[in-house]
Amino acid sequence: MTGDGTPVGGGARVSMPIGVTYEGRDPALLERVLPLVDYIEVTLETVAEVHGDEIRLSDEIMAELDAMGDAAQIIVHGVGLSIGSHEGWSPTYLRLLDDFLDRFEVAWHGEHLGYTKVDGEHLGIMLAVPKTEQVLDMVCERVERIQNRYKIPFALENIVHVIPDYPGDYTEAAFLNALTQRTGCGLIVDLYNLECDAHNHGFDIPAFFDELDFSAARELHVACGVEDNGFLLDVHSQLTRESTRDLAREAARRSAGSARAAVYEFMPEAVPGLGHDAIAAELIRLRQAFAD
Amino acid sequence: MDLALHQRQLLGLFRSTCDVGQDDDAYIQTVARSRDLREGRRNILLWRVWVLKRTCPLTFTLLRRRGILEESVAAFISQQNISPFRETQAPVFLEWLGGHSDRLVACVAGFERALTKVRQGDGETHILAWPVDPGPVLHSVAKDTALPDERTSLCDERSGGPWATVISRDLPGGFEIVCRDEAEIAVPGLEAAQ
Repeated sequence: MTGDGTPVGGGARVSMPIGVTYEGRDPALLERVLPLVDYIEVTLETVAEVHGDEIRLSDEIMAELDAMGDAAQIIVHGVGLSIGSHEGWSPTYLRLLDDFLDRFEVAWHGEHLGYTKVDGEHLGIMLAVPKTEQVLDMVCERVERIQNRYKIPFALENIVHVIPDYPGDYTEAAFLNALTQRTGCGLIVDLYNLECDAHNHGFDIPAFFDELDFSAARELHVACGVEDNGFLLDVHSQLTRESTRDLAREAARRSAGSARAAVYEFMPEAVPGLGHDAIAAELIRLRQAFAD
Repeated sequence: MDLALHQRQLLGLFRSTCDVGQDDDAYIQTVARSRDLREGRRNILLWRVWVLKRTCPLTFTLLRRRGILEESVAAFISQQNISPFRETQAPVFLEWLGGHSDRLVACVAGFERALTKVRQGDGETHILAWPVDPGPVLHSVAKDTALPDERTSLCDERSGGPWATVISRDLPGGFEIVCRDEAEIAVPGLEAAQ
């Protein structure tokens, strides 16, 4: 199956390549989804294991990915880089990325525009960076270092805002625009994160769409979580809602071809509840949504 | 703005270690008063619960059936510096539970920690003394059925009982349950584990 929009299996023309998360340790799931996708998204934090004092890539999962051959391209999507921490990013994450890139050909890699640690202490959650000129300078410098270090495209994702946004110098979209324009990095537009922000904080998605420079969008994310105490949680435990797929279609239209994939994300903890068949059906539904 | 101070204050708010006063930044005061902060803390708890349910299912089930799951995870969060690397959470959690005052919790956590290690290729033999027969307990947490009450009543005993689990990659299924008298003959090193 190709990732460039050419016909698949003699069927309808594919307008958006499809990807899916795969966190390893479930070869039957991988076998089930591989014929349905163009990209497999790997989260390094989840495919790593603890061995004594060392965190390293799981040999078992690396073997699974090796066996995949060229059935799909790999995208790396991290959680633990913490590009927005005042003291600097996580060297452990980059070491794992080094190891992974030594072993696999990766189409591009991405992370989140946020931070998960402060002074080496883990927050236990990811927080958004203040959208100030000072933070923009700091993040841009770090993005450029990453782009110099790895010769594959790099993209950053808009994250869910757990707490009210700091009153900075930029709107969400303007900050992302400045970041992508200054560094040339790509953007991962997570539609479900936007829906969480709209539900929890009244975030104006149409205004965000109108302001965002979609030409930098490299990847779209779709997912769905649960509502808890009236808050929509970014937990990736459900099949996508029609509203999320509609937003993804609109984002794809606005990106005018710059977005290379729409990735359905779910956490490994959700697989027993969702089931392999439902995940497969979701991927088919997603492909159909972009082909309509 | 002082980014380091800003991030340290938010870390303190999430860990409930930061007292915010009227002299603090207005934004920090807003966050401290917000419902979002409380929900954010709960979000952290739920994330840990989901990950631990998958990565250490035996111990997770025991804690839930004991009615101490949320309090245990909350204590874990407040006392440990938990990495976002998901697969690192269970080993740290299980090691932390090794010191639990409920002997059965400590035993199941120790058993699951050792079993995970040997399944990841660890070549060592791990021997754990139990105050109760491990068989019915492990069957209960594996199948998520009621714990054998008459046995768990013994779990506060500080000394070990007559049973042990031997965990090794050389054993079928990774472990076996033995009487300690037998193990002392069959498995070198048991004395050190007692």
